[in-house]
Amino acid sequence: MKKELTYTFLLLLFLTIITTVVYNLPINQLAKTSIILGLFAIKFIIVAFQFMDLKKANIFWKASVIGILIIINLIIIAS
Amino acid sequence: MNKTTINYKNFYYPPGGILMWIIIFIELITFGMALVALAYSSKENPQLFHESSMHLNKMIGTINTVFLLTSGFYVAQAVHNYKKNNFSKASSLFKIAMIGGLLFVLLKSIEYYFKIESGFHLDSNTFFTFYWLLTGFHIIHVIVGLVILLILNNNLSDKSIEDVEASAAFWHMCDLIWLLLFPVLYLIF
Repeated sequence: MKKELTYTFLLLLFLTIITTVVYNLPINQLAKTSIILGLFAIKFIIVAFQFMDLKKANIFWKASVIGILIIINLIIIAS
Repeated sequence: MNKTTINYKNFYYPPGGILMWIIIFIELITFGMALVALAYSSKENPQLFHESSMHLNKMIGTINTVFLLTSGFYVAQAVHNYKKNNFSKASSLFKIAMIGGLLFVLLKSIEYYFKIESGFHLDSNTFFTFYWLLTGFHIIHVIVGLVILLILNNNLSDKSIEDVEASAAFWHMCDLIWLLLFPVLYLIF
């Protein structure tokens, strides 16, 4: 469990660095926005499932968190 | 000390408790709707939003993200140690987590100071209205979270697992909200 938390934390830091790299890439704005929001969505899910132990919860709570996240990000990308 | 085992698979007992998760959902939906409103407002004047966003310091935002993630990591470790009855270590880890939270507040305050000095106020334009309101409400949550962790950490061994998990869930909620705010305010316009 302790190692799992450490690996999770290192993955979160890695994703933060990747986001910085993507932000500075000379690519299409829509692609950049989608990738950045996607990376943050992954970090969001990792924090919820690993740090908050949502992975142990009832499927309703897991699906609800993922559902809200997808809806918010899709609307922002589409707007 | 209540050391009963909780069946997290039960709908009524998610880690942190059902009431805390209802609060978390309300918060996520509220901040999410505000971000959607921000994204739609940007359609009216994309250039203004782009230029305004360029005035935000991405480095400070990234460092603050690391502070909150690090703090969340130590809270998760503290809860793990509490469950193993290592109260002393759990208490130390909560203290490190609080230092992470304090650093976030400190750095955010420095950022606010420079924004005010540069003349970017609540009424400067639509983007900065969203910026001040969203980050302002978020930092209030962080301060409330710090107070909760401070009270929790006082005689930690006397606290129940429900108290510890609910307090930790509130702290992690501050991480989640920041992970929604940071990319939209700082990076995508």
